[in-house]
Amino acid sequence: MPRLSIDGREIEAKAGQTVMQAARDNGIFIPYFCWHPNLSVPGNCRICVVGVAEKDGGEWVEIACNMPVAEGMVVFTASEKVKARRKATMEFITLNHPVDCGICDKAGECTLQDYHFEYNGERSVSRDAKTHATKHFDLSDRIVLDNERCIQCTRCVRFTREISKSNGLGMLDRGDHSIVRPSADGSFATDAYSDNVIDLCPVGALLAKDFLHQARVWYLKATPSVCPGCERGCGVNLWHRKDEWMLRSPRQAARNEGIDRVTPIENPAVNGPWVCNKARDLPKLLGRTRAAGAMFKGAPAPLEAAVLEARTLITEAKRPAAVISSWASNEELAAFKAALGARFALVGKRDHEPQPGEVVQDDLLIRADKNPNAAGVRAVLGECAAQVPGDADLVLVWGEGFDFRAVPAGAKIVFLNAFLAPENGHADVFLPVSIQTERSGHYTNFAGVTSRFEPCFAPAAGVLHAEALFGSLAGNGRGA
Amino acid sequence: MPGRQLIMNFEVTPTSHTFADYKARGGYETLGKALAMAPADITKEVTASGLLGHGGAAFPVGRKWGVMKPNPGEIHYLCANADEGEPGTFKDRWILEHAPHLLVESMLITSYALGVRHAFVYIRGEFDLPYRRIQAAIDEAYAAGLLGKPVPGSDFTLDIVVYRGAGSYVCGEASGLITSIEGRKPYPRNRPPRLTVKGLFQKPTVINNVESLANITGIIRMGAEEFRKVGTAKSPGTQLISISGHIAKPGVYEVEYGYSWAKFLDEDCGGMLHGAKMKCVVPGGISTKVLTRAEIENLTLSHESVNPAGSGLGSGGMIVIAEGTCMVRLLQVLLRFYHHESCGQCTPCREGMGWMHRIIDRILAGEGLPEDIDRLYAISHANDGTTICGMGDAAGFATVGILNKFRDEFEYFIANKRSKMDGRLECPA
Amino acid sequence: MRHLIPEFEKMKERFPAGFEESLVLPCLHRIQADRGFVADEDIVALCEYLKVPRIQVEEVLSYYTMLRREGIGKTHLQVCRNIACSMRGAEGVIEHACKRLGVKPGATTADGKFTLSTVECLGSCGTAPVVMVNDAYHENITLETLDRIIDGVVEERAVEIKK
Repeated sequence: MPRLSIDGREIEAKAGQTVMQAARDNGIFIPYFCWHPNLSVPGNCRICVVGVAEKDGGEWVEIACNMPVAEGMVVFTASEKVKARRKATMEFITLNHPVDCGICDKAGECTLQDYHFEYNGERSVSRDAKTHATKHFDLSDRIVLDNERCIQCTRCVRFTREISKSNGLGMLDRGDHSIVRPSADGSFATDAYSDNVIDLCPVGALLAKDFLHQARVWYLKATPSVCPGCERGCGVNLWHRKDEWMLRSPRQAARNEGIDRVTPIENPAVNGPWVCNKARDLPKLLGRTRAAGAMFKGAPAPLEAAVLEARTLITEAKRPAAVISSWASNEELAAFKAALGARFALVGKRDHEPQPGEVVQDDLLIRADKNPNAAGVRAVLGECAAQVPGDADLVLVWGEGFDFRAVPAGAKIVFLNAFLAPENGHADVFLPVSIQTERSGHYTNFAGVTSRFEPCFAPAAGVLHAEALFGSLAGNGRGA
Repeated sequence: MPGRQLIMNFEVTPTSHTFADYKARGGYETLGKALAMAPADITKEVTASGLLGHGGAAFPVGRKWGVMKPNPGEIHYLCANADEGEPGTFKDRWILEHAPHLLVESMLITSYALGVRHAFVYIRGEFDLPYRRIQAAIDEAYAAGLLGKPVPGSDFTLDIVVYRGAGSYVCGEASGLITSIEGRKPYPRNRPPRLTVKGLFQKPTVINNVESLANITGIIRMGAEEFRKVGTAKSPGTQLISISGHIAKPGVYEVEYGYSWAKFLDEDCGGMLHGAKMKCVVPGGISTKVLTRAEIENLTLSHESVNPAGSGLGSGGMIVIAEGTCMVRLLQVLLRFYHHESCGQCTPCREGMGWMHRIIDRILAGEGLPEDIDRLYAISHANDGTTICGMGDAAGFATVGILNKFRDEFEYFIANKRSKMDGRLECPA
Repeated sequence: MRHLIPEFEKMKERFPAGFEESLVLPCLHRIQADRGFVADEDIVALCEYLKVPRIQVEEVLSYYTMLRREGIGKTHLQVCRNIACSMRGAEGVIEHACKRLGVKPGATTADGKFTLSTVECLGSCGTAPVVMVNDAYHENITLETLDRIIDGVVEERAVEIKK
């Protein structure tokens, strides 16, 4: 365990670490563009230089990301030499970088902006016009590349080599004509993890098309959540408008209720720092048209009356079956169990199945079960039956993905669903319920790791929380 | 003859490069002697000889070898660096064309010493005759049973593959060279790890310049002590100097270290082209700093003489420049080259080469600014010791060297929007 | 490219085990010598044969100056314009070549007979100026010897200039 000092502070490193790693483990910050804890070390940006004391009192300067720790090393992260070198490096990196901040989505979370002000802060010293490159290159259907902004850190290229293994991106040509391009075999377009390069890019070179020019990042707040796209349950941040930045035009108001973008939350126990593209598409998945109100066989009904009718049907049923949503949170499942569990025959359900063209399962993150909480269902309710019992006289359907042809003839249907769907009209009683962005809760993933999600929005009026609803559906006419 | 000759010590004829002629001059006898020695003793002998690398860095060859001790079961590789891309340098080509078997025998001895089973000759893709000659020599060695199967009388086997480059100066950099052999873009690598620890396909690898290797056979044949009698104490042996530019008799000359520089130029090389006066000289490839005629008057061709004068013998690519040559135009040719050859990996070189090239072009277009000179210094300084490989440093040395000695020409060009030397690069007849 | 596979298999034999990826560059050289350039279908076939990702071959092709993805003229004239050659008359050679061929460096003559390029140091500084005519070095070039080379190509006869 080598002991070294960084800026006068004694730290203990692990054998085989670099100074960059040892510093980070001890909360000491050394700037970096090309380095990433989960990728190989190319050592090309040169910003992470540190000074190391020499025996004769001098100081040599070298990149920290490739510098093995040595016993007794004396390291400086901010000596005059290091500062001068960092300033020169920033001058080079910004030499031909377009000052696009005013129109660049990365502004506000841009490493280049931050480091420019921290390590240089002055205007360009060049007396030559900036060079130009392709401004808007379709890297894929999802990602746009601005080659002028690119600082050739190669994080995106290395991600496709080392993590997603699609080999979808490369750095073609050479010198200052080097240019990121996708492989001509289309492997980037089919890379299910492609959008991680957007987070990885330290500048605004790689941008999500869905989010392009939608909002300044400081208009948005990030709410921690769990991706419901499969049973991996990756940690995600759902970004949506801060109250003070809500759009004020009635014609744009709907955007205030939507998620603007999704980024990973690093969770070593679940997904590391990555998510697959399905997580990025959650705004579309969760933003589908909602079921607006309660219904009796497709006809709008007052909410209280619908709840009352549902309770009546449930109470009167002799052999009720409940088809359990695998998108239910642990809290909702517990509430169901407490209120109704004893009475119902339990049927399991995969609300979502893999869609054509969707990766079913791989050895990175993607799991075949496209639902977030089958494990939670098992943990709270035990093993559920695969089919609705043929003699059921009432079927309580909870969530999407149920084939209503499986309802025994003559059985009553109470249907709880969040989204607008034709099947909503099949139910004797239809009740609209909330989705995960409208409440807090937990999912348990396939490996037994439980993760929490927080609410982003309040549910619309007339939309119920299933957790509270189950109590109302139980009992003998008592309670709301 | 500029001193004793160890390599160019035979008459070049239409067949002197062949296996038969080489054998007739005693070729492959030293191989037998070497294979009877312990591998460690060969390395010891090379170390004792004080042989310094001839690729440009003058790193002690024995010291590089000493890191890669033979270890049965461990795969080691040897690469002969025949990329010869340093402008002004064309001496490895002489060895490949006229003494290819000297290289083959030396590679056999070296591989035996280092525990190498497969060796490579990395030759720049443009070379035509040198490539055909070395490949033919290797084919002859295979036919003679010296390669591809145990050398008669020993159990040592070596295979040599000639690997052609495809046009890239950084393939002359050791780590760029091996990344090229790996079938990828030839990006140089950061160290650590040293290539003698993790090199070609992550195996310990020694990369030596062709001329460095060519010396090995002689060292083992005559012994380190005899070898040290040639040259000087600090610069043992000889150097193949490629001389070009405004000199009457350009070509490859073998110079014994310690030989008078002035004598070499004025006598052995026939003096200046068209009897011109000498302005300055690039000593050892464009990445070494220029020295004026006055500065070299009393120097010898040796490391201990040239280094303190603020330059180096580098790769031995000597370019002689006559009075009246425009140093501003000359620098532009160099910066255009470095810009073209930058691999683009690391920030200071990738951005800096283009920047310097644009500045010098602007100066030449009559749009120079007084601050441009200091800017060229600053960019050069910011590339000194800050890059993944030595190319950034090299461009900086070339620039600083010329600016230090000829700043007046740059100031003149900027102030007057034209060359003080009428833009001359050629030497008038 | 498939007709070259027997040659590639022989090439492979000389390399040590585990060096399949090394073959990318020698194979590209051979493909280009055969076709005159490397075509898209060659890239696909090579990736299949060597089991390397396509992007690796694309990067290699885009990086090296000697490799090309499009055909050029029948005779490639490459004139060195680096330092020693410039000091011994390369600029005049380039100017003369442009005049004779009626193209600028980088271009191909309309009749497809010549492509003219300027290149960096060829390692022949002692015999500057130097021109590569396809694969061959022609050294100590003068305007006269350049004319003889060009005339030789135009008249389709071999011209021995060399050194």
